[in-house]
Amino acid sequence: MNGETVMIRCSTCDDQIDRCEFCERPDCATALCYGCVIEALGQAIRQPHDHGG
Amino acid sequence: MSPRAAWRLESFGFTRVYDYVAGKLDWMAAGLPTEGTNAERPRAGDVARRDVPTCSLDERLGEVRERAEAAGFDACVVVNDERVVLGLLRKKELEADASLPIEAAMRPGPSTFRPFVPIEEMARFLTHHDLANAPITTSDGRLVGLLRRDDAVRAAERLDAEGADRRENEEP
Amino acid sequence: MPQEIDREEVRRLVDEGAQLVEVLPANEYAEDHLPGALNFPLRRIEAEARDGLDPRRPVIVYCWDSA
Repeated sequence: MNGETVMIRCSTCDDQIDRCEFCERPDCATALCYGCVIEALGQAIRQPHDHGG
Repeated sequence: MSPRAAWRLESFGFTRVYDYVAGKLDWMAAGLPTEGTNAERPRAGDVARRDVPTCSLDERLGEVRERAEAAGFDACVVVNDERVVLGLLRKKELEADASLPIEAAMRPGPSTFRPFVPIEEMARFLTHHDLANAPITTSDGRLVGLLRRDDAVRAAERLDAEGADRRENEEP
Repeated sequence: MPQEIDREEVRRLVDEGAQLVEVLPANEYAEDHLPGALNFPLRRIEAEARDGLDPRRPVIVYCWDSA
């Protein structure tokens, strides 16, 4: 084993990530990146958004 | 949006106009109360256990484990003097060598969530990702409490049942 | 020029009698708004704010975030 991090994909936006940002598991079957987690939980809204900010 | 509104009000002759630039998100992320239809529904901060045991970086795992067990928790949140979350000890971490300093034993920089997230969303995510608990923090990283999956699921189910009752009573 | 403020200043000014206005659309206001806030969506601010606000009192406007 060479100790390299195995990258996985965000199940929503397909970005490369090293672990799920919700459960922190590197082998999460429905891994999410940070941006997609906070958007899914309503902690942020997608940019650009309807009312123009 | 708010800067445009602020400038427009000034053009009408309002002389003391302020722009709360960080907005509603900042307010809610700080755990402050709101009004409205969502405000009546339970959220992560309402259901999180504020009595979750906490510990500091320089303690030893053994004594922290005893404290957590005595409090009836299988987790402990690592915080500093300002109650800012530095790490998390879940069941697996708590089972490690008792002589380990907390700084070595903990999961550093855990994923945390805001108090205003709807409880149904948290319950769904905690279940889907098979997570036993999640720290709830304000936007400046301060611990509000630990949201346990069981508590979140129970609260979401209660909400669901209340919704079903309401719909039943509204039907002709 | 409108002054930018943080949430502590919001609380202080509201305690001193400032009017709080959310400029997001009505449905977003209905879900969650700061306690005591009025709603004048930006698109209707011309039509509604002049009659709905007291020009003698400070006004604080806000929306979702700084984006």
